[in-house]
Amino acid sequence: MPLRLISLAVVRASRPFVRTLKTAATPKLTDVLIIGGGPAGLTLAAAIKTSPYLSGLSTTLVDASDLTNKVASFYKSPPTHFTNRVISLTPQSKKFLEQTVGVRLMEDRIQPFDGIYVTDGCSNGTLEMERESMGYMVEISNIQSSALNRIEELKPSNLEIIDQTKVVSIEHSETDNLNSWPIVHLSNGDSYKTRLLVGCDGFNSPVRKFSNIESRGWLYNRFGVVATMKLEYAPFKIRGWQRFLPTGPIAHLPMPGDSATLVWSTTEPLSRLLVSLDSKQFTMLVNAAFVLEDADMQYYYKELEKGTITTEELFKDISFRTEQVYSQLDSESMIDEIYPPTVSSVEDASRARFPLKLSHADSYVAERIALVGDAAHTTHPLAGQGLNMGQGDVESLLRALENASNRGLDIGSLLALEPYWADRFPTNNMLLGVVDKLHKLYSTDFGPVVAMRTLGLNVVNNLGPLKEMMMGKVSGPSS
Amino acid sequence: MLRLNLQKPVFHRQFNIQRRSFLTAAALTLGSFIVGRDARLADAMDRGDLHNKNDDVQTLKKEEQERRLKILRDTRPMKPRYDGHVPLYPHERVILFVVSGLKSYFHPEDGDNIVQLGEASAFTFFLNNLKEVMLSDKVGRQILREQPNITSESIHMDDLKEMAPNTLGYTYYKWLKKEGVSPDTRAPVSYIDDPIHAYIFKRYRQCHDFYHAINDLPIIIEGEIAVKALEAANIGVPMAALGALLAPLRLKPVQRRRLYDIYLPWAVKTGLSCKPLINVYWEKILDKDVEELRKELGITPPPDLRAVRKERAKQRQQFKLKYESYEKS
Repeated sequence: MPLRLISLAVVRASRPFVRTLKTAATPKLTDVLIIGGGPAGLTLAAAIKTSPYLSGLSTTLVDASDLTNKVASFYKSPPTHFTNRVISLTPQSKKFLEQTVGVRLMEDRIQPFDGIYVTDGCSNGTLEMERESMGYMVEISNIQSSALNRIEELKPSNLEIIDQTKVVSIEHSETDNLNSWPIVHLSNGDSYKTRLLVGCDGFNSPVRKFSNIESRGWLYNRFGVVATMKLEYAPFKIRGWQRFLPTGPIAHLPMPGDSATLVWSTTEPLSRLLVSLDSKQFTMLVNAAFVLEDADMQYYYKELEKGTITTEELFKDISFRTEQVYSQLDSESMIDEIYPPTVSSVEDASRARFPLKLSHADSYVAERIALVGDAAHTTHPLAGQGLNMGQGDVESLLRALENASNRGLDIGSLLALEPYWADRFPTNNMLLGVVDKLHKLYSTDFGPVVAMRTLGLNVVNNLGPLKEMMMGKVSGPSS
Repeated sequence: MLRLNLQKPVFHRQFNIQRRSFLTAAALTLGSFIVGRDARLADAMDRGDLHNKNDDVQTLKKEEQERRLKILRDTRPMKPRYDGHVPLYPHERVILFVVSGLKSYFHPEDGDNIVQLGEASAFTFFLNNLKEVMLSDKVGRQILREQPNITSESIHMDDLKEMAPNTLGYTYYKWLKKEGVSPDTRAPVSYIDDPIHAYIFKRYRQCHDFYHAINDLPIIIEGEIAVKALEAANIGVPMAALGALLAPLRLKPVQRRRLYDIYLPWAVKTGLSCKPLINVYWEKILDKDVEELRKELGITPPPDLRAVRKERAKQRQQFKLKYESYEKS
């Protein structure tokens, strides 16, 4: 009795607030409420509507951006240039998207690549991975708009997409009952009461905060600089290039035709410098980073930071040093073998930077709550696994929900959701750990460490089965 | 039994003498066939050294030399990567290091030993390090780009003589004259594989005299050790470090004390605190004021070694005179 009284008192005290919300809108009911319309959220929505077991669930997706106009129009009238947010999709993820979810990606904006050439910026360590269609370079907008297009094709009656709307607050419908359906208040005045709340809402996930699931990790003190690049000529051999500089890895990845995309992880001050540079100077630096030594790069950073080098001087110095390095090769034909195609220009508006961090939630599920994608884990982009981990999450969550639905379970219950967490946590934890260790191993130029990692990389490069196994981890078992 | 024993040796001796004379005669005849005068004459005829001189002898000799060079080239681990490059196998490198090291210890006055030891101990990590130091500096990069060569052709002694007395050029000239050396006395590099590394090592060698000149250190062994210590501390040359550590062991106690008290501490301190000397484009700044340059680099020259020695010699002479006069009285 006393407990009851207290809870009543609480309700009474906060009544004016509750009443205003209540009068604004009595909560609408929904089975699944997805917060976040990124690749994970949209894929999940499309997957639920495609699944024969789940398509009956009423589903609502909330996103802050302009999904129905801006993102959807990408599919109907795609821009001529490539956007800067490009990721590598593994064959598994692509298969899931296309065959399970039924998404038709815009094929002419996808570039399959047949391998990746990894080098150590401090030594001659090399890892050459080769496999037909090892992965696909895809714009994130391509995935989002294709998933939206799929949803549109399905014309589901009980799916609602609410865009340009933010989540204001989340609460339990019964204050003391964690098992009660959560109520989500939106910035457009609506509120939703949901059986299952799925957080696809990124690193700063409001859903995770509401669920009180702890997320652990650290900042890498590194930033990723991205850009869309034009090449001097379309490459003959289509593969990705990655070089581990002591400041962070730089990756040069193919896009259709003579385009390519760049992900350059570097320190915070350098990322600021790289984004602020004249685009000609930036282009030269990108080319130099794959050929020259760390001492050269450090010199250029220093001079550019001080502003004591002109574009002309930089060009001359880089061309001279590049020639010097080329002249040490056994034959000229090696140049195309071990260095990426030369970048001729960088699209100016495409340069951007974002902080890199590791985070992993203690759990992906709680009563009536599931976390998917970046809301549950973030990683360094050096292995190109971030988005694929999210797709893996969606696939696994979908399976868990289908099973629960088949067995007549409440899809919001922990019992229904736990298999999803049990399936994904170990895989994701392993990938996060490997990427984290790789980052640490390669962020030093200390002689003995460089010697050891070079030996290790070269051993892996020459041991076929080991290399095959590693490729399998990154891009799925060979077809 | 006894008689038998006595008789046997007699028989044996006779037989031995006979056999020995036969063998000797046979060996002499055989030897004269191979190395005797006739055989040597025949060889000389064959080579065309004797009468009936062959016009083609010169070409034949040249061909023979070419053939041997070709064999030598084909047996090297790689093709020469620059002029005068002699690629070595790892075991040859080790032998070169050990042999030149021992020879340098016992005969430091022979420049060839030091030159060989320098190259045998020029490990790749050290050269890479040095390259990095040069690549991190504007002037260092300029030197790597232009790859200048210090010889008496690039630096004219007559021009140096005409320079103002406070300039680096004149200081260098004065030092060359005082020590009786010329800029040409530097051996080419041959055992370092990477052409850029080879250039950097050659550059270090050619600039060696400037390190002497700017600090006014003579080429007698103490001066050399001091400069070696400076190079070891500033540039990190392994051979210089070896020299600075081991060479003093061979000195007289008084020389050693002088080194340990004055010159080595000075060299290490200066080497660690001054700017990298490999990044100085000496031939471009010959007309610079030498005091200004020293200040810029952070160098204060040590006490004049020759003057210190002279001072000590004078003292000894005075003591000797005093002692002798004391003895007499």
